[in-house]
Amino acid sequence: MQPILSVHNLNKYYGNQVGCKNMNLTLYPGEVVGVVGESGSGKTTFINSISGNLIPDSGKILIETGNETIDFLEISESLKRLLIRTELAFVHQNPRDGLRLDVSAGGNISERLMSIGQRNYGNIRQTIFKWLDKVEIDKSRADDFPRTFSGGMLQRLQIAKNLVTSPKIIFMDEPTGGLDVSVQAKILDLLRKLVRELNLSVVIVSHDLAVIRLLADKIIVMKNGEAVESGLCDQVLDDPQHSYTQLLVSSVLQV
Amino acid sequence: MNNVLKFKNKKNTVAAQDEIYNFAYLDENTKRMIRRALIKALCIPGYQVPFSSREMPMPYGWGTGGVQVTSSCLTTDDVIKVIDQGADDTTNAVSIRNFFKKTANIKTTEKTSQASIIQTRHRIPEEKLKEKQILVYQVPIPEPLAFLEPRYQETKKMHALSEYGIMHVKLYEDITKNGHIETAYAYPVKTNDRYIMDPSPIPKFDNPKMNNNPAIQLFGAGREQRIYAIPPYTEVTSLDFEDYPFDPSKAPHKCSICGSNESFLDEIITDDDGNRSFICSDTNYCNQRMENN
Repeated sequence: MQPILSVHNLNKYYGNQVGCKNMNLTLYPGEVVGVVGESGSGKTTFINSISGNLIPDSGKILIETGNETIDFLEISESLKRLLIRTELAFVHQNPRDGLRLDVSAGGNISERLMSIGQRNYGNIRQTIFKWLDKVEIDKSRADDFPRTFSGGMLQRLQIAKNLVTSPKIIFMDEPTGGLDVSVQAKILDLLRKLVRELNLSVVIVSHDLAVIRLLADKIIVMKNGEAVESGLCDQVLDDPQHSYTQLLVSSVLQV
Repeated sequence: MNNVLKFKNKKNTVAAQDEIYNFAYLDENTKRMIRRALIKALCIPGYQVPFSSREMPMPYGWGTGGVQVTSSCLTTDDVIKVIDQGADDTTNAVSIRNFFKKTANIKTTEKTSQASIIQTRHRIPEEKLKEKQILVYQVPIPEPLAFLEPRYQETKKMHALSEYGIMHVKLYEDITKNGHIETAYAYPVKTNDRYIMDPSPIPKFDNPKMNNNPAIQLFGAGREQRIYAIPPYTEVTSLDFEDYPFDPSKAPHKCSICGSNESFLDEIITDDDGNRSFICSDTNYCNQRMENN
């Protein structure tokens, strides 16, 4: 099987400051890779660099579309943006960054559909209802503005908005950050269900080891912009080799 | 100052054109700059060409863009007509017409068929335009995506890459809220199957007239410093959904002066009891129908 996304020797600097250095990643279809590390370790820089939000200084990003392998950093701006709105999806930590707050919930979900040329209002409506149902938001809220939604609902709406065009690769930056524990659990549950059901390939960034353990198959531990350890999720978390990973694992509160 | 003195001394011999101004007010370099923008705009239908808009002797929002475009197109043989919401006799129309009378000593008319340049605020005349006529629109906000995406850099990219999904989001919202597309003016169009364009706040009733029009259509936005254009015989389509097609609706009434069923109507409240009547917004069209009857 070919990896759907592979990243080789990716570097991103902010002036002299290291954003992330020598990063590698291989993502197979249906796989979830978690990126963990403390605040400031370069997780967000890394995920932004591989998803097209930031332009890395050097490195290679290859995306397998099924027919061809695309060199993500070499393609034209128009093809890149087409990929971003069809094959890729980005779930922001703050759902307000990924949603249009002055457009109704349904309108938010419909944007990607219409940008790939769907022009039948009735069909678009049906797809919206289907996705609201999938993310467990009541159909009756379809015409309400996101600003009337709770934090957890906003995050679920953002997930629906991103998944509606069945993207191949989903990037998530702290999708449960800033939510209370019970809502976090609900979102995680939903994500796990969608990952299985739709066979999604996901790169997820989190500082929360519990989130990663629950969702991820593989894990990359970052510190000071570099990967200090990587491997199968259970293996790394149960038998951490690097001193920093050991520290990270041992600092999780046991309840 | 010298010019003013010269003008005063020549008071008795001077022609109607005010000689202290250059022909049609703008200096020749400015006109050349605007003509270049106009030619570029005509070559890329619907594309917004930036130009360095000048201060005009009228406030922004009163047609400074349209006036600059008209000035740059005027020749001494032109006959100009100015309308404001279809009418020849409202303040904006009268003052702009007088402006060109004074600064260009040019013939003016109220008859659509006799004008070579028609400057308009928010209407297209009812009478069909012909080849060799120029229609100049006054545009307040040229960017059709402005209300959906406030970042100008981003809208520029969206135009360049034809990323127009968001435009339909607006129409989607309309249908969801009102059961039909509520946008009744400044209804977005696609020009020559490429650029999405704001037709300036004309009623959507006028949208079909832009399509395949034999006249040249020029759009000037003074404050926003943009010029765009539709060359003659260009395809202009209004955006819609398959199951909610574009509908150029108008008030279901007859003009209470000329009785026309076809023209776009203004609603006029006639007393304090809520009585109202409808009359043609295009005054010249209405007058001509009355003269012919």
